[in-house]
Amino acid sequence: MLLDIIFNAFNGLIAGSFYALMAIGLSLILGLNGVINFAHGGFMALAAYLAFTLVPYVGFWGALVIAPLLTGGVGYIVEQLVVKRLYLRDPLYSLLATFGLALIIQDMLRTIWGAQGLPLAIPDFLNQPLSSTYFFVTGYRLFVMVLAVVSTAGLFAALRFTRLGVRIRAGNKDLETISAVGVNILLLRSANFMLGIVFAGLAGVLAAGQLGLTPTMGDQLIMPSFVAIVVGGVGSLLGSLLGGLIIGVASGITTAFYPAGSEVVIYLIMGVMLIARPRGLLGQEGLFE
Amino acid sequence: MALKTLQGGGYGRRGLLKTGAALGAAGLAGPVWGADTVPVKIGQIDSTTGNFAVLGQSQIKGAALAAHELNAAGGILGRPVQVLVEDDAGSPATGIDKAGRLLHQENVDFFIGTVSSAVSLSLSQFAEAHGKVFVCSGGHVDKLTGAGCNWATFRVCSTTWILTDGDSKTLYDKFGKKWYFLTTDYAFGHSEQADYTKQVTGYGGTILGGALVPVGTSDFSSYLIQAKAAGPDVLCLLLAGDDQINAMKQITQFGLNKSMAVAGALFELEQIAALPEAARYGVWTFEWYWNQPGVPHVAEFVKRYNTMYPGLYPSQRSWFGYVSVHALALAAKAANSVDSVKVAKAMEGLVLPPEIALQPGKPMFRAEDHQLLLGMFPGEVNQTGTYPHLMTIYDYVPGASIALSPSETGCTITYPS
Repeated sequence: MLLDIIFNAFNGLIAGSFYALMAIGLSLILGLNGVINFAHGGFMALAAYLAFTLVPYVGFWGALVIAPLLTGGVGYIVEQLVVKRLYLRDPLYSLLATFGLALIIQDMLRTIWGAQGLPLAIPDFLNQPLSSTYFFVTGYRLFVMVLAVVSTAGLFAALRFTRLGVRIRAGNKDLETISAVGVNILLLRSANFMLGIVFAGLAGVLAAGQLGLTPTMGDQLIMPSFVAIVVGGVGSLLGSLLGGLIIGVASGITTAFYPAGSEVVIYLIMGVMLIARPRGLLGQEGLFE
Repeated sequence: MALKTLQGGGYGRRGLLKTGAALGAAGLAGPVWGADTVPVKIGQIDSTTGNFAVLGQSQIKGAALAAHELNAAGGILGRPVQVLVEDDAGSPATGIDKAGRLLHQENVDFFIGTVSSAVSLSLSQFAEAHGKVFVCSGGHVDKLTGAGCNWATFRVCSTTWILTDGDSKTLYDKFGKKWYFLTTDYAFGHSEQADYTKQVTGYGGTILGGALVPVGTSDFSSYLIQAKAAGPDVLCLLLAGDDQINAMKQITQFGLNKSMAVAGALFELEQIAALPEAARYGVWTFEWYWNQPGVPHVAEFVKRYNTMYPGLYPSQRSWFGYVSVHALALAAKAANSVDSVKVAKAMEGLVLPPEIALQPGKPMFRAEDHQLLLGMFPGEVNQTGTYPHLMTIYDYVPGASIALSPSETGCTITYPS
């Protein structure tokens, strides 16, 4: 039984690191752009499908780099055409607009690539368990976990040490002031939106390597990321990371005792968090209380 | 290459409507209908989005081919046939909502379709309440032609009993006594698991346990840890739609298929095509297969399907849709009416002619429970095969030899007085 719990906790940690990766892009956009991006899952799926098309030409590794960047480009266009126009309005507008976008992207994927599930080939050496005891730790899942940690660390470093990063952080705190000192906040928000979408794309390609592609793949992955943000704290990137890991592990451990409750438990945690500490673990005060 | 051709076949609601309109027009171009001829309308409730979209679209394609053929040959009782498709998105509530629209706005004469058993059960009740025949194309739950049967509902695809009985003995003899289930958490999965449990314990086997998996699960890792801990001989997958694909992939990645046999009842051409080569394995049952050398009419059917949908081969789902429409036409002809009660009575005991049965046996709609006694095609997945050569069929098992007897199904048919 103890081994079973340890297995499931460890397995949850792997799943959680993946939620965290998705949640970070969402959290970036929510922070500076003030947009609850319901189309995040759609962009993930878009990147995954682009990767599927690219793999025969540039291989898995090439696609893992190029597809998220291309999706970031699409994200930029969408921001310019749609999201940008809604910054001054009530957040409900951008929420509805991105929800609509999510549906548009999903139907577009279905039209172009078909409703049929498609496999995304990953390198063989990653596609097997590392040991027969820990059969659920495949090379690929370990790789996803490491990549989640590395890219999150990279993002933190960028926010800390680059000029763009410092501006994004400052904008998170007080957009009007940095605008007053001469920062082009429209450009800053565009760049930030794009960065968030690149993260979504990265998560999407990685998810496809494990689960394959379906037009609705984003829907299945997006909800845990929202929960991760709420639990970790809106506006805090570190909180999103922590939130992802917590719900992953909690869901894993629950499986050992009561498999049917493994999904409910993450919403229970969210519910408890919203009652006891609405700002989340590391969230800024004031956003939700 | 295989995938390319399949992608070409995928299309959304608008595409379907366009195709439907084009087919209608093509059909009309054959015989000349009178200006005031009212078409016979068949409402098809099927998934074009959601977890069952791919399977639903194959059923829609099959039904459209049948309507096309009927129209070219004079329609039903001299009236053109029109199949009106609505998407249920895998949800009973949506399915019933759309069925209501088809009934009240389009005045459809009959209903066909459904992939999800949950939608099948709801639509069956709806059809009975509104006095319209419903030919269920693809929902397998036993109850539909068992305890929950009614006069208005007929079913083309097998019951979960027939489906599981098609391979349970083979799996038991070949792989072992100790079984563990991964079961999709709705009517279809529950029904399958109950049937397998009864059969396997009957042979002397043991059920070690099982996990109920919500529809739409993408990450199966935690369930697989439980399965591995149980240590079964046979890991029996009772999943549907895209869930099956995700589970098979993760089982392969974890290497579980090396330490236990992975098998189950329902597996579909569309699902195998979506799997990478390493995840294609196992012994399964098909309910129809396109490659039946020497069986009359099958090759011609495949060719007609190819012509209408270039690059695509008919799956069992295509055949379900095809039979649903033709069975209605045959029964209406026999009854010389499109009145649902008369058509239902004519369909009882209806034996499918060889050009529609497209298999060695003679499937018949059993009068006692309205279940089509179709044959089963147990076989093994071709790991290295390319689309459409994805299965090697071992055998053909006539449905009548494995179906529960009418008294065991719990069905009693009562017609409205």
